[in-house]
Amino acid sequence: MALEMSSSVQGVKALLTLSGELDGSSAPAVRETVDRLLSSSPSHLVLSVEKLSFMASAGLRILIFAKQKQPSLKIYFVKPQETVVETLKKTGFYQGVYITDSENIDEAAG
Amino acid sequence: MQERTFPGTLDALEPIRKFVSEAAEAAGMDRSAIYNLCLAVDEIATNVVLHGYEEAGLSGEMSVSAAVGPENLVIRLLDHGKPYDPNYHDTPSGDDLSRPLEEREIGGLGILLALDGVDDLQYEVTDRGNEHRFFVQLKKSSR
Repeated sequence: MALEMSSSVQGVKALLTLSGELDGSSAPAVRETVDRLLSSSPSHLVLSVEKLSFMASAGLRILIFAKQKQPSLKIYFVKPQETVVETLKKTGFYQGVYITDSENIDEAAG
Repeated sequence: MQERTFPGTLDALEPIRKFVSEAAEAAGMDRSAIYNLCLAVDEIATNVVLHGYEEAGLSGEMSVSAAVGPENLVIRLLDHGKPYDPNYHDTPSGDDLSRPLEEREIGGLGILLALDGVDDLQYEVTDRGNEHRFFVQLKKSSR
C-alpha cells in the first residue's frame, strides 16, 4: 500500500496525516513535507498516523531531522498502531515523542 | 520453496514486503511476528539498494526466497551489489538509544530493527552473490 499524506498548519501546530506505508521509497517525500511545515516554525508537529500500517527506520530518521532542525519541537503521534509503537520503543524514540489519542493536543497532552 | 526476483531499487521494497508477508502467513506466523520479519527484510533490502547498489555505482537485482521447515521459516535475500555484512555494522548502544532525538545518529537504526525482528540473521558472500538469511522460529501452537 502506497503512502498517502496531507498536511496543514493551524497556528503553532503543524498537522501531517500519514496513511499507508512509510518506507525508504516514500520517506523522501515525507521529509520534504516536514521540512516545508517547519518553515513556519510551529511548536508542535502532530503526526496523525492511525492508518499508518508500516514504518521503517526511514521514518525515524525524519523525526531526527525535524528535531535537529528545531530542537524545541514537540512531536506527537496520534493513535499509532501497536507495531509502530513497538518500533518507537525498541529504538528509544518513545521517550522523545508524545503518544496521544486526539489531534486536539491542547486538551490531550498540552 | 518459492523464489522471486525484484529490481534493485526502492520501488521493490513494497512488493518484497508483500512476498515475505505472504510466506510468513502461510507458515502460520502471528501478525506481530510477520510485521517484525517484514521490517527486518525491508531494512536490509533498503541498505542493499542504497549502499550495495546506488552508492557503489552498481545496478542489479534482488532475489528473495522463502523456505518453510518443520521448525523455522528462512527468507533468503540475494544481491550482487557491494558486500555489506549487517553483523559488523555499528548499531546504537544503550546510551545512544536514551539520547534526545536531536542528538541521535541517523545510522544503524535499520540494522538494529533488522537484528531485532528475527531470531537469527546470517550473512554470507557466496558464488551466487551476497546472501542474507533471516531465520524465524515457528511456534508449534501456531502451526
